[in-house]
Amino acid sequence: MLRITGGRVYDPANGINGVIKDVCIADGRVVADVTDGRTIDATGLVVFPGGVDVHTHVAGGSVNFARGMTPEDHRRAAAFVRSQSLRSGIGGMTPTTFATGYLYAGMGWTTVNEAAVPILFAKHTHEELRDIPIVDKCSMILMANNEILLDLLEAGEHERARHLVAWQIWASKAYGIKAVNPGGVVSWKWGKNSSQLSSPIEGYRNVTPGTIVSGLARIVDELGLPHPLHLHCNNLGAPGNVSTTIETMKLLEGHRAHMAHLQYHAYGGDDWHTMCSATPKVAEYFNAHPNLTADAGAVLFGDTVTITADGPWQHLLYKLTGRKWGNLDVENETGCGIVPYSYRPNNLVNAVQWAVGLELMLLIDDPWRLHLTTDHPNGACFWRYPEIIQLLMNADFRKDCLKSLTPHARERIFLPDITREYTLYEIAIITSAGPARALALPQKGQLGVGADADLVIYHEDKDVAKMFSHPRYVIKAGEVVVEEGEIRNVVEGRPFLVQTTYDPDIEGYLRPFFESYYTMSFENYPVEMSRLEKAEVFECKRAK
Amino acid sequence: MAAQLGGKVSCTLGEVKNRADFIVYWGSNPADCHPRHLSRYTIAQKGRFLPRGRKDRTVVVVDVRETKTSNPADVFLQIRPGKDFEVLTTLRALVKGQPVNPQLVAETGVTVEQLQDLVDRMKRARFGVMFFGMGLTMTRGKHMNSMAILTLATEMNAFTKFVAMPMRGHGNVTGADVVMRWTTSYPFAINFSRGYPRYNPGEFSTVDLLVRGDVDAALVLGADPGATMPMPAINRLAGIPTIVLDPKVTHTSRLARVHITTATTGISAPGTSYRMDEVPLTLRPPLRSPYPTDEEVVRRIHQAVARKPDWLTAHSGTSPIAQA
Repeated sequence: MLRITGGRVYDPANGINGVIKDVCIADGRVVADVTDGRTIDATGLVVFPGGVDVHTHVAGGSVNFARGMTPEDHRRAAAFVRSQSLRSGIGGMTPTTFATGYLYAGMGWTTVNEAAVPILFAKHTHEELRDIPIVDKCSMILMANNEILLDLLEAGEHERARHLVAWQIWASKAYGIKAVNPGGVVSWKWGKNSSQLSSPIEGYRNVTPGTIVSGLARIVDELGLPHPLHLHCNNLGAPGNVSTTIETMKLLEGHRAHMAHLQYHAYGGDDWHTMCSATPKVAEYFNAHPNLTADAGAVLFGDTVTITADGPWQHLLYKLTGRKWGNLDVENETGCGIVPYSYRPNNLVNAVQWAVGLELMLLIDDPWRLHLTTDHPNGACFWRYPEIIQLLMNADFRKDCLKSLTPHARERIFLPDITREYTLYEIAIITSAGPARALALPQKGQLGVGADADLVIYHEDKDVAKMFSHPRYVIKAGEVVVEEGEIRNVVEGRPFLVQTTYDPDIEGYLRPFFESYYTMSFENYPVEMSRLEKAEVFECKRAK
Repeated sequence: MAAQLGGKVSCTLGEVKNRADFIVYWGSNPADCHPRHLSRYTIAQKGRFLPRGRKDRTVVVVDVRETKTSNPADVFLQIRPGKDFEVLTTLRALVKGQPVNPQLVAETGVTVEQLQDLVDRMKRARFGVMFFGMGLTMTRGKHMNSMAILTLATEMNAFTKFVAMPMRGHGNVTGADVVMRWTTSYPFAINFSRGYPRYNPGEFSTVDLLVRGDVDAALVLGADPGATMPMPAINRLAGIPTIVLDPKVTHTSRLARVHITTATTGISAPGTSYRMDEVPLTLRPPLRSPYPTDEEVVRRIHQAVARKPDWLTAHSGTSPIAQA
């Protein structure tokens, strides 16, 4: 039992905005009162619900591919020395699993969503997730380039497609569905891409990126999955892609959808020399459409490695940068590309990307629908979130940072004219309460009675980046895991997954396809429940 | 290691089965060394987009001698031993339309015309794959050879779809590689003596540590270095307390101080194996074994070690290196 007394509590899910009150914890949950146990005096400190990362890449085949490809980064990265309770590891652009848990928890984040899992590699992803301590985690499987699904959409068999998706989610012990460059990765299997929403994709007559987007959004709603369709639009990173993004959002009217790393999809201009920010258009549409949520996918200057299932984009990035290129196409399902990248303030494109991420967060009115992410590690590493919080909370600091951009770049962005500053209450929404609501995890992102006792206590500081980098205490499931900036106690995180219902006949339909076009036996494909420890299984809510 | 230098453009084996109309084996003889590979994934298989199977595929073998794999190939290029890097570099030049010196090319054992023909065929392919084996990776040039073939495949993507994949062997070596990467960032040659992982192939690789005599105990798991390593390394293994976990008697177990017989993974012990394309497979043992699994033995050794005073704490304030 634990009582946190005297802290200024920010709990937006319960409308609590900086109220001094006690938080009591028993058996890993928030309770109304406790009679004994330890008391933490949080007088003068700030209490937040634990952070929730709605979109990150921390485990699985692609991240591990990137680790293997970039030893030059590991050598300069932070080393994690083992102790009797901590495992050793390496930080940096793609931290090792144990270091990932320590880094997230060390910053006050207690739940993460691994946003891109090829079903064929789901066992690998779950093995890595199990090795990420402290934080709870869920995962999204890649479906928008799954050729079995696309064949069904081609044939107009929507009902069977829905059963297939439901089967795939349960088979991979996932929490939701991710769509990456719908159709584009299928085209990439023949070295091509899909840039037009209404043009059929390579090898299909009827299926277009547009039909995949609307088909999957409908399936997600019909299945009543807790999290909406998690969508990485077509034409990521391309100048002028704002038109694709808005068209895609129009296709989603009447459905729920989560627009992943929106920053990469809000550019104007015609080519790399004329690229500019198009955030007002995106923000205007987004503000008017409450069926949508999004995460920022913000960029910070510095070195990182880009990891995505968007194979054709990574080939382009390799050609642009001339740096290392990793590619792994996954049979019948998806692809994956890796390219190390450095964002530089004196580069026009990078400067626009940096500004666009911040502009979206400042121009979108409703903090509940826009979540803080960097699409780790694509825009920047997750452990740099405090730097973004500082940029959001301090307009003067933003002005200073703008000085490092070229005048040419400053003409192509809207950031210099934006004066909005985030409050602590709003920060608690974009880092915790909002993403928890988007993921439909009612026990997360809040400190009401019955909630999971995941919370973080900060020492308020004018230096916002310092304040959020070094919490005074982090409490996970009622255990104090971080104290005075040190990991004192390692608890295990739990996996979250969704129980779907499907027509069992779908297996009979799948088996022949599987035996012809896959290279493992059908029985070997699903992830066994025994691979997951202490899993929490969520039910689907049937949509109206 | 080659992927660390320039990246790697690859795919899972099902992509090869379904799409690869152009297949190269370079320094690799799967007909003898990977007996199920040809029938399961490549030549003999019909694919989603290759309904006629073998008839829809072009097979090229590059090797220093004729092999069982080269016999049924459409094109066989016999190159001189140790000339792989030169041939690969020439191919990269021809792919880009750069001039090459025919005399220098002739030293490799093939002609410019043969190589130009290969390049033309590669560019005509819809989906090309290059498998490479130890004939390339373990001969003169080693990982630089691997990097050359990976780069060739990468650069071919300016013209058509192309990938490359090493033909890995030795049971679950890929699994070891995968797990080491997610726990330490590095695939092999990792030194934990400072309490965190450090990587330096050539310095911390097993052979180098043994030959230099830096090691005073060894635990060998799922490998038989006594059969494959150079003599000075084997002699060192024989001279120190070496513990072998293996279902069978091996060259290494004969010279080891302790041999713990374990159940055979996949036959009488469960687990996960990573295929050479890194796809994880569940192993379901059909038999039971009276012996413990590798995992159980390692866990019990670990528990026993954990009861001892912590090495790092015990030596805090003093340099363990100075003491040794």
